[in-house]
Amino acid sequence: MNLERVIFGFFIVLALTLNFGFVIGEIDNPDHHSTLELFFVIIVNLVATGLKLGDRSQIGAVLLATSLVADLQLIAAAITWAIAVHVSEVGMVPNVMATIVSLSSGALVANIISVTMLTGETLMMRR
Amino acid sequence: MRKSPSSSRVTYIILRYMRRPIIVLITVYAASMLGWTLIPGLDAQGNPAYMSFFHAFYFLAYTVTTTGFGELPQIYTEAQRMWGIVSLYAGVIAWFYALGSIIRLVQNPEFQQSVAERRFAKVVARLREPFCIICGFGNTGALLTRGLTDEGLTVIVVDRNPERIKTLLLRDYRTPVAGLCADARLTEHMIEAGMLKPNCKSVVALTQDEEVNLKIAVTASLLNRDVSVMVQSTSETYEETLATLGDKVHIIDPFQTYAKYLTAVIENPAIHSLNQWLAGTPGATLDQRTYPPKGLWILCGFGRMGHWIRDSLESQGDATVVIEPNPSASDESLDGMIVGRAGQENLLKADIEHAVGIVAGTPSDTDNLSILLNARILNPNIFLLVRQNRFRNLEVFEAAQADFTMMPSLVSARRILFLLVAPLLKSFFETLHGPEFLARDGGLNAAVDALAKTVGGAQPRLWTLDTGADAGALRRVMRDGTAISLDDILRDPENRDRRLACLPLVVESGGDPVVMPASTTTVRLGDRILFCGTPRAVRLLEATLNNEYTLRYLISGVEAPRGYVMQWLTRKMAARPVRA
Repeated sequence: MNLERVIFGFFIVLALTLNFGFVIGEIDNPDHHSTLELFFVIIVNLVATGLKLGDRSQIGAVLLATSLVADLQLIAAAITWAIAVHVSEVGMVPNVMATIVSLSSGALVANIISVTMLTGETLMMRR
Repeated sequence: MRKSPSSSRVTYIILRYMRRPIIVLITVYAASMLGWTLIPGLDAQGNPAYMSFFHAFYFLAYTVTTTGFGELPQIYTEAQRMWGIVSLYAGVIAWFYALGSIIRLVQNPEFQQSVAERRFAKVVARLREPFCIICGFGNTGALLTRGLTDEGLTVIVVDRNPERIKTLLLRDYRTPVAGLCADARLTEHMIEAGMLKPNCKSVVALTQDEEVNLKIAVTASLLNRDVSVMVQSTSETYEETLATLGDKVHIIDPFQTYAKYLTAVIENPAIHSLNQWLAGTPGATLDQRTYPPKGLWILCGFGRMGHWIRDSLESQGDATVVIEPNPSASDESLDGMIVGRAGQENLLKADIEHAVGIVAGTPSDTDNLSILLNARILNPNIFLLVRQNRFRNLEVFEAAQADFTMMPSLVSARRILFLLVAPLLKSFFETLHGPEFLARDGGLNAAVDALAKTVGGAQPRLWTLDTGADAGALRRVMRDGTAISLDDILRDPENRDRRLACLPLVVESGGDPVVMPASTTTVRLGDRILFCGTPRAVRLLEATLNNEYTLRYLISGVEAPRGYVMQWLTRKMAARPVRA
C-alpha cells in the first residue's frame, strides 16, 4: 500500500462526493443547497489541486488540468453568491441559485473525469 | 529542397497542346460576337436595334455549345439568321477541335507520365516520417518492401518497368508506399523520390544493371551525406569504386551473401532457424534444427556460389563431387568434376548411393527440382539442400519438401532489412560466426537456447534503443547519477520480481559492440542496445523507458512520491529521528 495513493485518492473522491451533495436537489431552491457545503467543496478541491502539483507524468498533467477546471467553476459559483447577496442586493432569488448550482454541476463533471482517470491509471498499473 | 521539374513540365505540355485550339476558339468567338453587334436587328416596334456584346455572348453560349436553349427576344432579321448559321457552324467546329485536342493531351503518354510524376512528387514532399528509397522492384525489392512496411517504415519505390510499378500499387501494405516509374539513373528522378530530404534514411539500389546501381550509390552518397546506401553488386570492378564512397555505403553481393549463408547453415543449422525466426517467417520456431550429415556431398551447379560452398565443405573435412554442364577452363581438371547435366546417369557416376547430401544449386528452378526428384529416387535418405530462384515457384518447392530450401533474393532482402531496421544485428551474427565464438562449443546454440527460453513463441520483435535520442525518462534518471543495469530496465512493471520476455542481444557502447551482454551490464548515456522480445514485452519496455516514475520504481522498488506536497512530507518524515 502506498500512502500517497491513499491521501490522493481520499481527497479526489471526497471532492466528488461533496460536490455531488451540494448539486443534488431542485436547481433553484435555496433550501436544498447549503453554503457550508459549497465552502467545503471549494476547500477540498483546492487541497486536491495542491496534491497534484509536481507530477511530471502525462496522466498527472491531465489530472491537474481537470482539477483546475473544477476550481475555476466552483470559485465562479462562490463569487456569484457573494455578489448576489452582498454587492447587488438582489438577494438569493431562484434565478441566482440556478446559476450557482449549474456552475457547480460543471465542476462535478470535471471531478467525475478525475476519479475515472485515477481509477483507470490504478487498474493499468496492476501491481 | 530544389523545386521538382515535373510540375513546370505539366504546365508546359498543356500549353503546347492547347495553344492552337485556344487561339482558334478565341478568334471564332471574337468574329461571331463582332458580327452580331454590327448586324442591325429590329425591336418589337420595328425600329432598328443593335445587340450588345453581352447579348451576343449569351447567344453564342447556348448555340455554339449545342445546348439548344431557345430564348428568342424577338424575331431575327434575315441578315441575322444568315450570320447565325455561320457563327453556329464555325463555333461548333472550333469546339470539337478543342475537345479533340484535350482528349489527345490526356492520352499522351508523356503527359500521363508528367502528371504521375507530379502526384508522386507531392506525396514525397508531404512525407514527414523517415523513409527508405528502393530502386528496382524485382524479387529482392518486393521482399524488402514487404519487410520494411511490416516494420512500420515508409517506402518509396523507383523502377523503370511500368508493369512492376502497377503490381506495387495493387499490393496491400501496412504503411503508405509510393511508386515512381522512372529511370533511377537520372538524378532528377532520385531527387523527386526525396533523396535530398533530411528524413530520407537510406537508398537501396537493387536494379538488375550493375552500372545503374553504381550510379545511384555515387549520386546518393555525394548529394546527401547523411543517407545510408545499400547497393547490390556482383562485380568486383564496381565494388572497388563503391568501397571508396565511405562507411555509409554497404555493398550487398547477393551470391556471396547467399553462399556465406549456405556455408553457415551447413556448419550450424541453428543459424537458419534463428534467421527465419527473427525475420518473423510464419511458422518459424527456434527448435527446428536438422543437422546436415558428414560424408560425401554432391554439388550440382558450380558458379561463384558453388566454389564458396565447396571450399566450406572441404574445410570441414567433407568430400565433394561437382556436376556442372559448362565448367570454366580452370575448373575442368578439378578433382571429382563431372561435366554434364545432373541427370540420373551423372548422379550415379557421382556415387549418389553412398553420398550423404546433395546441393541443387543451379540458376534454374526446373533443373533444381528435377535434381531433387532424381536424387530422392536414387537415394531416399539423402540430405537435400535446394536453391529456389523465383518467388512464384514457392508452392512447388514447398511440395517438394527438401531438408533446406533457400532463396538467394530472400537472403539478400533479409540482410538489407536487418541492416536497415536493426544495424546492430550485423555484429550479433558476425560474432556468433566468428572464430572465438565458434570455438566455444555451442556459442550460437547457447544464444538460441537463451532466446527460446526467454522469448520463445513466434514472430518476435527487434527493437534498437538509442539512449542518446529516445527514452527521455531513462536519460533523466541517469543524470541523477543512478546506475542502471540491463536487469533493472527489463523488470516487469506489473511485478518487479519477474522479467519481461525480452533479451538484449547487443550493447554498443562507444562504438564497441558486446554480444549477449550479461544482465549486470550498466547502461551508459549514448549506448545503443538491440533488444529482441515478444511484441508485448517490447511495448512495455518502451513505456517503462519513457515513464520516469515506473523506471525509478523498477530500479529501487520504492514508489516515489509524485506531488510537491508529498515529496516535502516524505523528506520531513525521513529527517525525523526514529523513536526507539
